[in-house]
Order: sequence, then structure tokens, then C-alpha cells
Amino acid sequence: MTICQKSPEVEALTRSLRRFIETELHPVEHTIETMQGPPDEFIRPLRDKARALGFYAMNMPAEVGGGGLGTAEMCFAEEQIGRTSPVLIRQVFGQVYLMLMACKGAQRERYLLPTVRGERNCCIAITEPNAGSDAASITTTAEPRGEGFIINGLKHFISDGDRADYAIVMAVTDKAKRVKGGITAFLVDKNTPGFTVGAAQNMMGQHGVRHVELHFTDCYVGPEQVLGEVGQGFPMMLASVSRVRLAQIGARAVGMAGRLLDLCAAYATERTQFGKKIGEFQMIQQMLADTATEMFAARTMVMGTAANVDAGIDCREQVSMVKLFASEMVNRAADRAVQIFGGMGVCQEAPVERFFRDARVFRIYDGTSEIHRARIATVLMRDGQGPLGLE
Amino acid sequence: MKILVPVKRVVDYNVKVRIKPDGSGVDIANVKMSMNPFDEIAVEEAIRLREKGIATEVVAVSCGIAACQETLRNALALGADRAILVETDAELQPLAVAKLLKALVDKEAPRLVILGKQAIDDDANQTGQMLAGLLGWAQATSASKVEIAAADAAEMTVKREIDGGLETMQVKLPAIITTDLRLNEPRYATLPNIMKAKKKPLDTVKPDALGVDVTPRLATLKVAEPAKRRGGGKVADVQELVAKLRNEAKVI
Repeated sequence: MTICQKSPEVEALTRSLRRFIETELHPVEHTIETMQGPPDEFIRPLRDKARALGFYAMNMPAEVGGGGLGTAEMCFAEEQIGRTSPVLIRQVFGQVYLMLMACKGAQRERYLLPTVRGERNCCIAITEPNAGSDAASITTTAEPRGEGFIINGLKHFISDGDRADYAIVMAVTDKAKRVKGGITAFLVDKNTPGFTVGAAQNMMGQHGVRHVELHFTDCYVGPEQVLGEVGQGFPMMLASVSRVRLAQIGARAVGMAGRLLDLCAAYATERTQFGKKIGEFQMIQQMLADTATEMFAARTMVMGTAANVDAGIDCREQVSMVKLFASEMVNRAADRAVQIFGGMGVCQEAPVERFFRDARVFRIYDGTSEIHRARIATVLMRDGQGPLGLE
Repeated sequence: MKILVPVKRVVDYNVKVRIKPDGSGVDIANVKMSMNPFDEIAVEEAIRLREKGIATEVVAVSCGIAACQETLRNALALGADRAILVETDAELQPLAVAKLLKALVDKEAPRLVILGKQAIDDDANQTGQMLAGLLGWAQATSASKVEIAAADAAEMTVKREIDGGLETMQVKLPAIITTDLRLNEPRYATLPNIMKAKKKPLDTVKPDALGVDVTPRLATLKVAEPAKRRGGGKVADVQELVAKLRNEAKVI
């Protein structure tokens, strides 16, 4: 039994997912890439198919209609999901935030349940022009007004912000306390007065996942729009961060590298130059072997750490190492893939140039590689190797 | 009506198989295994018949090592109601499997057995026919369409793709069907059904308990890779072609 051993159920799930992705999604990847945000009528049939198969919101607990998968199970699923394009991942399998489990009373029927059912789209608004990796330094404020709050501020790089029916907005409710009880999460509906969607921010990769600015100008929200408790926005976000990082960065990076490796191995055994298959050249072999080996390392890290998360062990620093390694690994894999494909590697007729562009942001979002390195080194110097899982 | 669906664990169709160095067979160590694709079609057809109200229960069966449970769980995840594993480490040849299945048919009393027309490992294409022979039942092999009017129907209609057209047969029930590729397209296993499959009954029996002797009747002498294809050549004229056919290929 190794840590990458799948239970019979996970084996059945990953097989079914793989077939679904190869049959239903791979053929539309190129089309959707050129759409700059696919229209709903394009997405809806694919999402409905995924929902009928129980493949939508698999990360959410079963009691709210989700797939009820544990962290390790979700990582195996995400590894398969990583084999298609980011826009299809978000739209077909759903980007449903675990944080929504904090919904209470009427919020459940209004936000949580329809989002798990794929009927309502959600976006999460944390990042601001002056608060990226340093999320604690956000300046969007929510000041008490009557029974509710007045939100003012600017969010940017908000994925699917224009498609969302509502946003989870992080705002400062107590400047003195900040992360220690001063940041609150709000559920803000699309047409709330004072809330507008700003300019689109076109990105290098992950085309089709539209990123926009969100503007809040004297936007009043009632007390019923607070998600969780006032002042608890930050801890609430951190509670699910390990799981999200492992599954959506670590496992997806492994899946993406796996798809690239399949493409590269096939190309190396088909493409002939100088009268030989290019795979016969040892420099090509080196690139294939390095990607395979690094992918194996990342995969073992993801699954080992996922098992720790499932066991209830706080392993944030290990998750940082997984995020760092997996995101860097997939970029090296994508770079080698471009090199193996040569001219075809930079040509949009072949899929590898898309992966190259899509992979780059893995090293940046959800904490840059540098932030994670700093965290790992700080903990090492302060507390030794124990918290890093190296003892 | 109850339907029995035998499924076989075989090397996954995507795997490039290798011959063992001693030529005794195909190397299956560390190779991805899956349900025989024709058997998946058989499971799908049985489930569709149950969904139409024709069948009341779909029982998946596999014969072989303990790992065949995975294949059965897959059948359960697709929608079979329960499963039976005839567990043995012995080498099983088509006649032995047909005898094991006959013993299970005697016990379970299905009115229909749907099998893949062949398994993609040995391509024997024998088990269904042998089972029909042992039971004295009608058989419709390589079915591309199956029509059963009602749960208590005495007959069914089966279409088969033959050279130059379609053959339509009236088949008396109980009967054996073996599936062709175009009978249906198997569904995706859904996440809820995969999780439910864990709780469905999977019984295990031994060949001895069924009173079947599975001793092989056939001996494998040698397994070899297909001969490597040699490159072709161009000939200048008919004379050269005839000369090559006569002197090199020695076929005329």
C-alpha cells in the first residue's frame, strides 16, 4: 500500500472522470480558448452533464448536495480535472467555496444550496491593487450603518467576477484588529446599489476565466449579508486554505503535468527528424524523464499531505512546500513540453502553448513561490524541522 | 426477469502489452487492468433493460483472483444490483468459465445471460457459446440490437451485423446474448452510484462449492510477439513483380 494507492471507489471515480474529460471536454478546449469567456449557452449543457454525474461541487459536503469527498479523494479527482483547461474546470466542475458552509438560516437556501446545485455562480473578492499575497493589508472597509454596513473599496483580479450572481467580499470592519477579528466576509448580490463590475483585466493565460475589478461605493448591506461572524472573515478563509491549496494547486498541477507528459511522450515517438524519432535523442529523453520524476515527486507530496489533512493534522507548512514545488514543477514541465514540440510548441495549433501560458500563474496566485519559501524558512529557523514534517 | 452479466478483468485497452521473456504469456505485472470493454457493453444493456422495466435484477459475475472484486465494484457502480465472485487463483479457460457460469445459472435462475462477445486479452470468443451449449439455451451472438417486449416475453428480437447487412433473429427465452461493439455506449459511472456500490452485496464462492473442476484442458505452448512488419518496395514492371513473387515470396 502506497500513499498514492486509490480505494476501489476512487479508482472508479477517476476512471469515469478521465473518460468524461477526454470525451466531453478535450474536444472543446480549443474552441473555448478563443471565446474570451464562453457564453452561458455553451457552458450550460456541459455543466448539466457534470451535475447529472455528480461531478459538480465534489469538494462540498454530501449533506448540502456536494460530492462529499475527503481531501485525498478530492486530490485524486482534481488530478484528473487538471487534465483540461482552467475555464472548463471552473465552469463545468464548479468553483464552489467551502467557506459557504458558514451560511446560516435563509442564507443556505439563497446562497449555499443553489451554488452547490450549479444554479448560482459565486466569486470571491479578497485581492486589491495593494493587497495581493499580503491579503491582510486590504483596505476595503465595511462601516456600521444602522443595522448593517456600508462597504467602500476596490477589488481587482476577481475571477469570474462578471459572471457571478453574488460575491463573497472581504472587508475591514475593525482597523485596529485587522486579521485578529477585524476582517469580515460579506455576501453581496450582483445588483446591490453601490456594487458595480469594473473593467476586464485580460490575462496572459487561463483564457475564458474573466478577471474584473469590483467597485464598492457606499454599498449598503444588511446584517443578514454577513457570512459567518463579524470579524471572523480571515480565520474562516484560513480554515479551508490547506485543502484548497492541495487540491486546486497541487493536484491540478500534477494533472496538468500528466497531460503534458502524455502529449510529449506521444510526440517524441511520432516526430521524426534526421531520420530518427526525436525520442531517440537522449536530450529529449532527459526532458521526458525529468518531467516524469518531478511529477512523481509532486504527486507523492500532494497525496501524503492530503492524508495528513484528512487525519486532522495541521500541516500548513507542508502544504506550503507542496504548493511551491508543484507550481514550479508544472512550469518546468510546460517549458520542456514547448521545447520538445519545438516550433509546434509555440504555435497555437498544438495545445502545449496554452499549458505554458496557463501554468505561469500557478507560481503567483494563492501566495507566490517567494511567500511560501519565506514561510517555510521562517518556520524552520524558529521551530526546527518538526512542523515541516521532516522529523 | 433476472439478468446475469459475467465480466472479466483484463489488461486495459490503452496498455501496450508485452510478452514475458520466457514466452509463457503476456506480462501483467504492474499493468493497469480494467473491465473487458465488451462486458461493459453487456452491463449497460442489462441496466437499460432494468430501467425499461423488463429486468428486475442485474447480477454481475466474475471468475478469477480476488482482484476481480474491483471489476465487479465497477459493474456495481455502473448500476448492477449485486455481484458474485467465483474466486480462484487457477488459470481459467473458456470451458471452465462456461461451466462455472452454468452452475451459477442453475443456482440463480436468470432468464437472460448477457456476455461480451469476446475478451480483449485472449480473444477466444467461446464462453457465451459454450454456456449456451451446456444449458441447452438459445444463443444470439454479436448482438447489435436487443428488443424484448415485456418482462414475461417468451421471445426476443436480436439484430446482428453480418457481411453486407443486418440479420434479425427471433430468439426463445431463456437465452444467451453476446454483445458487439455497437450495441450501446456504456454510461459514465456517477459519483453517487460509485459511493452506493460500496454498500451493494458482493458474495464470494469457490469453484469447489459449485462442483466444477476448472482444470485446464488446453496447454499454451508459446506466446510470441507478432512478426515485425517489413518495409515494402517498388517494382518497375510486371515482369519484376512476377519474378519477386516467384523467387522471393515463393507464392506463385
